[in-house]
Amino acid sequence: MSKRRVAIIGVGITPFRARYLDKTYFELAYDATNLALDDTNKNGAQITHKDLESTVYGIYNELFERQFMPDIFINSYLGMNNKPGTRIASGGATGGYTVRMAYSEVASGLSDLCLCIGVEKCNDCYDEKTGTTTPEVLNAIAYSADMTYEYPMGMMAASSYVSMVNAHYEEFGNPTEEQMAYVSIKNHGNAKLNPKAQSPMDVTVEDVMYSRIICYPFKMLDCCLYSEASAALILASEQKVKELGIEKPIWITGVAAANTDCFIGNRESVGRLYSNIYAAKAAYKMAGLDYNKIKEQIDVAELHDAFSGQEVISYEELGFVPFGEGGPWIEKSFEKPGEGPWIDGELPCCPSGGLIGCGHAVGATGIMSTGEAALQLRQEAGKHQVKTIEKGRAIAHSIGGPGAAYAAVIVIANEEGLNKP
Amino acid sequence: MNEQNFQSHEIRDRIVIQYKYTMGGQSKFFLELMNNKKILGTKCKKCGKVWMPPRINCSECFADTDWVEMPHTGIIKVSTIVWYTTSAFIQSVPYGIAFIQLDKADTGMLQGIFSENLVPSKVKKGQRVKAVFKKKEDREGKMTDFFFVPEDEYDSWIAKPQYEGGS
Ligand SMILES: [Zn+2]
Repeated sequence: MSKRRVAIIGVGITPFRARYLDKTYFELAYDATNLALDDTNKNGAQITHKDLESTVYGIYNELFERQFMPDIFINSYLGMNNKPGTRIASGGATGGYTVRMAYSEVASGLSDLCLCIGVEKCNDCYDEKTGTTTPEVLNAIAYSADMTYEYPMGMMAASSYVSMVNAHYEEFGNPTEEQMAYVSIKNHGNAKLNPKAQSPMDVTVEDVMYSRIICYPFKMLDCCLYSEASAALILASEQKVKELGIEKPIWITGVAAANTDCFIGNRESVGRLYSNIYAAKAAYKMAGLDYNKIKEQIDVAELHDAFSGQEVISYEELGFVPFGEGGPWIEKSFEKPGEGPWIDGELPCCPSGGLIGCGHAVGATGIMSTGEAALQLRQEAGKHQVKTIEKGRAIAHSIGGPGAAYAAVIVIANEEGLNKP
Repeated sequence: MNEQNFQSHEIRDRIVIQYKYTMGGQSKFFLELMNNKKILGTKCKKCGKVWMPPRINCSECFADTDWVEMPHTGIIKVSTIVWYTTSAFIQSVPYGIAFIQLDKADTGMLQGIFSENLVPSKVKKGQRVKAVFKKKEDREGKMTDFFFVPEDEYDSWIAKPQYEGGS
């Protein structure tokens, strides 16, 4: 049986905020779903939640939601009773993995209209001792590390990712702290153009260098903030796209994921996110694209920049530049229009602001990235729309888990992008 | 719904679960650590790969492994120093953690790296390190029963009253 073609026909993203005091996670999910339905219907289609045949839920952390099966409570709140709903939880990569499963739901023929929704609400966690949320949010995440050998050492997300960045630096001499700061400048800056972003900011290399040290050499402004938000996509089969008269369907042409060794110490090289390499190669292959020419074959990339240094490594692992050239690529292209990963560059990376600019609402993040990339291809992203959409193709990237063991890469295309070389 | 003058209501809550968790096939590693200050790895019966932390099955060959006693020395593959962290560890900052490859091991394990002078240059890649143990009465059969120090600081660490060297 061959796969059916699958399109994104609706995108709904709530603002990314430090805290929603006026919404629970299921109320936020309702808002994103409603936005995605409005987006689907804006050219005359008339679907409601009753037309959606199934749901795939991206929700990372039970401890955030204070609920170990949050998906069923959302399912009922969305009026989706008596239809299938399946939860995906793959750490920071939850969003990308959720898009992959929702794609499968439609490509396989199980559904013609599928709701792909992610939500996270982390900042209800609260550390009574310090009177702040973040240490308890980090604690809730730290249980994702191996509990026997790694959690007791005080391992957490930043110290896990920084290990790979430090090993990459030992091997290639980059990314330097300054080169990482440029990612922070770019993504906080792009966020100024995105009204849904949590951390719009003008920052300088010095601001980053002198921000609070988190774990060497990551500073506060190298790290994303944990955020609360929901993001939803409505996926449709080709037949439904025609039936509903969707004007600008965005086709999912490649979906791939790879889980690499969850113990960083077992990997051949500590300075690699092997999951990125395998997921990217498989997704590009499925989309008929070339890993070695990918930079010339896509217009825009929404990357998973949980930490600045790890965005730099991703430039290499996703095939944009050769290994060891990620740091120089962003540094040398600063304030040079037409070059590098900047919003006016040769391959804009994270024009939405990414995680550093928008915040990281874990389960929602990869769905937001995919939705943002789709809006770019529709030329409807708003103020952060990139100037040139000529190849008609984009990628969205999600990573997560202990030592970024999970990675998912989604390739999407508008109508023109389907046939261009 | 758009309410004027919205007022939120927050409640205090916590989730606590107690465990008596078995280390399963890896139990011997923790018992030997606690009782005899031994660090055990495992060696695949088929391919000979030495796993550290140990596992009773080789994930590459789908074969069983044998226990092997490991040296207490090794090198740092990569490290970091943590200055801001989770609520469970925030009282311990700054602390160093490193992926350490023990001599004769084929994989690296995460462990605490202690130093009198905890700066990045002291815990760099390639730094030779040696294991230091808590005193017997303080060992619980957990990874926190031991840690590593730069080789040149070993004597001063085991001279401290709360720690001791391996056999
Ligand atoms: Zn083997």
